[in-house]
Amino acid sequence: MMDLAVRDIRNDLSRFLLTAAGLGMLMSVVLAMTGIYNGMVVDATVLPDTYGGDLWVVQKGTQGPFAESSRVPALLADRIRAVPGVERTRSYMTLNVQHELGDGETLRFMLAGLSWPDDLGNSLPLAQGRALRQPHYELVADRALGLPVGTSLRLGRDDYTIVGITSGMVSSSGDPLVFASVSDALRIQNDLASEALRLERESRVSRVRRSEYGRDPANLARAGSAAPLPVTSPPPVTAILVDVAAGGDVEAVKASLLGWPDISVYTIDEQRELLVRGVIDRARRQIGLFRALLVLISAIVMGLIVYTMTLDKMLSLSLLKLLGAKQRVILRLILEESLLLGISAYLVALLIGELAFDLFPRRVLVQDLDRLALLGVILGLSVAAGMVGLRKALAANPNEVLAS
Amino acid sequence: MNERVGTTVLSLTGISKVYGEGPTRVDALRPTAFEARAGEVVAIVGPSGSGKSTLLTIIGLINPPTAGSLLINGEPVITDGVAVANLTTMRRRELGYVFQRSNLIPFLNAEENVRLALEIDGVPAHQSRTRARELLESLGLGKRLAALPGKLSGGEQQRVAIARAMIHQPSVVLADEPTAALDSGRGRQVMELFRDSAHAHGAAVLVVTHDHRTLDLVDRVLEMEDGVLSEKQPA
Repeated sequence: MMDLAVRDIRNDLSRFLLTAAGLGMLMSVVLAMTGIYNGMVVDATVLPDTYGGDLWVVQKGTQGPFAESSRVPALLADRIRAVPGVERTRSYMTLNVQHELGDGETLRFMLAGLSWPDDLGNSLPLAQGRALRQPHYELVADRALGLPVGTSLRLGRDDYTIVGITSGMVSSSGDPLVFASVSDALRIQNDLASEALRLERESRVSRVRRSEYGRDPANLARAGSAAPLPVTSPPPVTAILVDVAAGGDVEAVKASLLGWPDISVYTIDEQRELLVRGVIDRARRQIGLFRALLVLISAIVMGLIVYTMTLDKMLSLSLLKLLGAKQRVILRLILEESLLLGISAYLVALLIGELAFDLFPRRVLVQDLDRLALLGVILGLSVAAGMVGLRKALAANPNEVLAS
Repeated sequence: MNERVGTTVLSLTGISKVYGEGPTRVDALRPTAFEARAGEVVAIVGPSGSGKSTLLTIIGLINPPTAGSLLINGEPVITDGVAVANLTTMRRRELGYVFQRSNLIPFLNAEENVRLALEIDGVPAHQSRTRARELLESLGLGKRLAALPGKLSGGEQQRVAIARAMIHQPSVVLADEPTAALDSGRGRQVMELFRDSAHAHGAAVLVVTHDHRTLDLVDRVLEMEDGVLSEKQPA
């Protein structure tokens, strides 16, 4: 039996292609939404994936640096290192930086600390340049920052030089990541203006004078001098990353650390889960609802298109019935056209994805499974739309041919 | 000449059609008996609303009669107003249709329109293609095989429609005003074609027509008036 659907399409190919292009654009938005969500998840998990670590130790009662604010003393790393089974500890901290360039442009990025000398950034996906080679004044920046290797940036009171460029390293909010040693990051974070420092020193002297310590004349004399009192501890970091020795029992180390009253401990998978569930869950639901809405709109549009295409053919369908065509001939004609329309729209959506998604300002990550899922959705829509047309087609009356 | 010529292919007994009931009752077709033989062309004439089209739709198995029996090739199709055979299959195998407007499928070319009548009955494409080409060539359309209906003249379209109605060698071909849209010369050509095809393919051709200019080309003329069918005596 000749293929009636192909012949009908061929007869008005431009109309079919335009319809498929329109539907394809609609489908490309569904695909883009999926890609934006995937990109959001990848962007959000870039940091835990890059840093690794078997356990993440954070401030007691908090869920870690990605979910909420956490502050732990930097010296905690030394305490944890003494726990049996622990091979290495690293400090982790991030801060958002908004930097004004000379030409009035604003540079916004997330500064992440690398625990020198244990972590020089060799695991970063470097596209150009190198990792850190010295503990101070070097940065590794993502390509999205738009600055080349060798660029010098003044952050706080010091100049930092970009020595390496990464690719695809952005924070969950889409800002490019810039890596420096933890000590540099802390220095930048705690940079204070001269007046603020002077006031802080005066405040410290005043506190000492009012304390037991200040009742000792010798201490009092020291507190009243120009020299600053020594700070009691280095500034806190956000978390401590723990690497368990090869062959070691992560759960056992975790159980041991959980006995400490001042910290909470999570495995890296738990951190990822908290991140995805907590930080981007609302965005995920929003995108999910938007996608569902788009699929519903596509279903209605496609149903209407197939219905209209069927209406245009009613006389031919009546004639087919009059000539004694079996119902499956009509069924095949309508369903095949609907499926061909859906598949063409799918190909248009893929083409738009290939050409346009890289131009989006944020990562749009479309995976094979997403493409397959979209194909499944489109095939389902095509069949549903075909049913709408088929219902009309099967009602075609051979008498119509005589009346025409 | 086809070996079937002369045998009775269509037989109607007491076929009637009533619309409505009580005061709204309309006897569109009063009990009618009628036979048609293979190879003959029968014209059915009569004023508008006389019941010609009703008779055609009943014989065409589109519209069920209220009462009566209908046989095709001696096989009961409708008995006492009730279908006793698969009407879709009967339409596909035993009937051919030609209309005032050719009613070709607009997205199929001339050859495909003709092949369609064979392929919906399961004839393989290579066979249907050969037979359609042969038939269209015999009708002088050998150079118009690939033309879409919109590119064919009215006469060419009607010849394609006749080819489609004849290709599967039906027992009965029903034609509803097939010459109404054609000029006198082309109208006669079409009627000659019916006559030749009826003999060649062994089909009875029933032509509903208002066109008295072509009645000299038919074998019998039946007249329909107020739902009553009667044989019209030759002038």
